[in-house]
Amino acid sequence: MSMVFAPRMAEAAPSSHAGASWSPYDNNGGTCVAIAGADYCVIAADTRMSTGFSILTRDYSKIHQITEKCVLASSGFQADVRSLQKNLDARHQIYQHQHNKQMSCPAMAQLLSNTLYYKRFFPYYAFNVLGGLDNEGKGCVYTYDAVGSYERSGYSSQGSGQTLIMPVLDNQLKSASPLVLPPRESSTPLTENEAVDLIKDTFASAAERDIYTGDGVEIVIINKDGIRRETMPLKRD
Amino acid sequence: MFLTRSEYDRGFNTFSPEGRLFQVEYAIEAIKLGSTAVGLKTKEGVVLAVEKRITSVLLEPTSVEKIMEIDEHIGCAMSGLTADARTLVEHGRVETQNHRFSYNEPMSVESTTQALCDLALRFGEFDEESMSRPFGVSLLIAGHDESGPCLYHTDPSGTFWQCDAKAIGSGSEGADTSLQEHFNKNMTLEEAETLALSTLKHVMEEKVTSCNVDIAKVAPKYHLYTPEEVEVVIQRL
Repeated sequence: MSMVFAPRMAEAAPSSHAGASWSPYDNNGGTCVAIAGADYCVIAADTRMSTGFSILTRDYSKIHQITEKCVLASSGFQADVRSLQKNLDARHQIYQHQHNKQMSCPAMAQLLSNTLYYKRFFPYYAFNVLGGLDNEGKGCVYTYDAVGSYERSGYSSQGSGQTLIMPVLDNQLKSASPLVLPPRESSTPLTENEAVDLIKDTFASAAERDIYTGDGVEIVIINKDGIRRETMPLKRD
Repeated sequence: MFLTRSEYDRGFNTFSPEGRLFQVEYAIEAIKLGSTAVGLKTKEGVVLAVEKRITSVLLEPTSVEKIMEIDEHIGCAMSGLTADARTLVEHGRVETQNHRFSYNEPMSVESTTQALCDLALRFGEFDEESMSRPFGVSLLIAGHDESGPCLYHTDPSGTFWQCDAKAIGSGSEGADTSLQEHFNKNMTLEEAETLALSTLKHVMEEKVTSCNVDIAKVAPKYHLYTPEEVEVVIQRL
């Protein structure tokens, strides 16, 4: 994937055709993390938006609420992300008119997968984590690649800081292997506050080394009482 | 008759000066010639029962199909022009499978009913693609979704109603009166099976056998009774 979509690749290669180096994609960096618990879900993303060595803004939200119980955090190319968010919002509006109810998080997960796959040959350059509560009120996290392959898991991380954060989550949360029988709960054993603290720590660590992650972290917590937002400042260098 | 209606009962989409669509009204009349079908909703599930008119001893009873599966959780009984119903059922099957593809969840029974009714009134005189006349069939749609068991009744005008118990077809007037007397919401599924069949028995000209009635239930999955299972219900009458 990185070969095809790395935005700077084409510029580096000297081209004989003027204008042939233009790429429809950029990478605005950023990191998204989500953790699902027994009765809650925490979704977080940093608020920096950058291109190359420049910071475009320090206060850009990568988290988008689609339904009352379902939010989407996306890194990658933010123009594509906005377009994807608008598309999902419209599809959700239509769904509500047709079925007189809000879309469930698992339904939205399937819809997002289809939406991404339908652009299989000119993909949305977006790396998504979808989090929320499922039909039983349990926390759920869905993680995607750019062309719609997806999986439900207990926790996930996507974006530029993914390689720094994911091993820490693996170590702290121990994913339930889908290969081991009997199947285990996909949600994590942490309490809501422990999950929020873990997320804050992982972001503080990622911001140390990843130049595309920093400025601040926005944390969205969904539980039976509703939805709540928290923010925490990160390194701004 | 010829004098009063000759101008306005030919065009399918032409209102008469009194504001009536005669072809639709005639289609509703056509239902009253069809074989009787009843549906009963209980807390455990929904029962559908239909009369099959076996016009000749040489006729293979299983080839008369008046209860069909739309999806795993939705069944449908018909009265009127059963050939028209096949078009509607096929549409319903496509819609429910599309919904599963898009949202990875079963379609709600009301939405499915709405989808069938959308097709029912999609008729026109000049469009080659669409049906040239109203569907001459009435449906009883039984299903089970997140709101529990439910029963809908549709007619050729594309209108639908939610019912606790309903009879359609030639014996519908007598059967409806009988249902109003004997039906109550707290019936068990077994009692509903018996009531459905005894209601049919009262309005049928022939003696009830396992060949000339079909019974199906949705509790919570669709199941069409085998002749042996029908025989068990007949024994309880």
